[in-house]
Amino acid sequence: MIEIDTLSVTFNAAGRLVRAVENVSLTVGAQESFGLVGESGSGKSTILRAICGLAPISGGAIRIDGKPVAPQTRAFARQVQMVFQDPYASLHPRHTIDRVLSEPLTIHGLKTTEGRIEQALTDVGLPTSFRFRFPHQLSGGQRQRVAIARALMLEPRILLLDEPTSALDASVQAETLNLLTRLRETRGLTFLMVSHDLAVIDHMCDRILVMQHGKAVEALSREALAQGAMTTDYARTLFTASADRLMG
Amino acid sequence: MRAWLLDPNPRSRLQSRLGQAWLQALRFRRNHLAMLGLFITVTLLLAAIFAPLIAPHGPITQSLADRLQPPLTPGHLLGTDDFGRDILSRILYGSRITLYIVGLVILTAPVAGLIIGTVAGYFGGWVDAVLMRITDIFLAFPKLILALALVAVLGNGMENAVLAIALTSWPPYARVARAETLTVRNSDYIAAVRLQGAGATRIIWGHIMPMCLPSVIIRVTLDMAGIILTAAGLGFLGLGVQPPDPEWGVMISAGRKFLFEQWWVATMPGLAIFLVSLGFNLMGDGLRDVLDPKGAR
Repeated sequence: MIEIDTLSVTFNAAGRLVRAVENVSLTVGAQESFGLVGESGSGKSTILRAICGLAPISGGAIRIDGKPVAPQTRAFARQVQMVFQDPYASLHPRHTIDRVLSEPLTIHGLKTTEGRIEQALTDVGLPTSFRFRFPHQLSGGQRQRVAIARALMLEPRILLLDEPTSALDASVQAETLNLLTRLRETRGLTFLMVSHDLAVIDHMCDRILVMQHGKAVEALSREALAQGAMTTDYARTLFTASADRLMG
Repeated sequence: MRAWLLDPNPRSRLQSRLGQAWLQALRFRRNHLAMLGLFITVTLLLAAIFAPLIAPHGPITQSLADRLQPPLTPGHLLGTDDFGRDILSRILYGSRITLYIVGLVILTAPVAGLIIGTVAGYFGGWVDAVLMRITDIFLAFPKLILALALVAVLGNGMENAVLAIALTSWPPYARVARAETLTVRNSDYIAAVRLQGAGATRIIWGHIMPMCLPSVIIRVTLDMAGIILTAAGLGFLGLGVQPPDPEWGVMISAGRKFLFEQWWVATMPGLAIFLVSLGFNLMGDGLRDVLDPKGAR
């Protein structure tokens, strides 16, 4: 469903070229959950941002259903949505939850019925009484649920998840991950997920790609991950670092 | 009704919006200084509306026998000027002119500045470069000189004075709005709405402008006294409001000649400007607090 072909992203930081992603290729099948793992600065989030047109692509191609992507158009918005890392920064501080959730519908000229917003809140496990609250009246986990509900308003088939739980504490992390898994199953979504935490990836993803310094290091299936069958040293180091939590 | 308004879980958009407005009004009322500002502003409004009813004399009725009477003279509470005109009446009628000038400038300059600043900040690149260089050109001239030049081109009169002041006072608002825009335009919530396919107009109007509004409001209230004084300066130089119209600035400049012997001629309209500026400042400060939903308890 998503094909990324020798993608390179180069930032121009005050005249200095920073190669954030170099020649990374991957494919994600329909209704699959694909994970990108790596330490901070390995370029995994940049790949997601490149898909959305938020990072400058300097080489390679991104295709969805065989067609080159046209990010930030309405047609693209109905196919692909993203959940951001920090729920404290991804909701407009002066808009009510109602406004946040109805905005995508208004942009696309769809009818915003009261029931639709309340249904969206219920789907992510929030009480409908939250509808007219402001983001600062919600906890981090609740905000991230709102962000997930917003991403799902347009009923996209692909959800890009940029470390959706790293800003949340452990118990809320598990709840949010379970919510995402449930939504994927009921709606048949395709996930492309970024995390630095192998435990999260192991819980969520069918296949993973390990990245380091903007390059792809190793692709692994969930089985290979569970058996610890990595071939590269870097993937093994990453695995041992979070092994205790994987077993638990 | 109160319970309905303060319901923490409103059932409809209307109820939520009215509840918000009610909470904002309550927050504004708790701020005593802001209420004082509102009181001064409302008093100014009432004075302007009912000037013919309250004023003891006509604003341009001369009476050379009563010239330069001190304050508290029977019949002339604030004294008279060099033509024997009652200063209180002139101040009351002058509030109409002051309100007119301030109102029109507030309706035009900050709006223009806000639009130019947010557009420049949001698009960046050459749009930013062009708009900001124009802003710099306007900023480079002393405000009064530029206003003078504009009035000289457009011709005398109050409308042209307002236009000239508006045209010279938008650049600071554009700068403030642009600075705010730059801090929010790369935030995740703007990225999120872009990903939903929103156009630039919707993003700037609905998402960026609300974030710029507080700083611009503060800036406007701070500039209020400056606007009144610029209008006065234009009047003083014989452009803008013309004597014998009772504009406060024109009154001050007329009283300048007697400042040491008959202090009240210049001081009374000066006090009026001071009070009104103070009122606007206090009210603006309260408004900014009210507009921030985080201030809610």
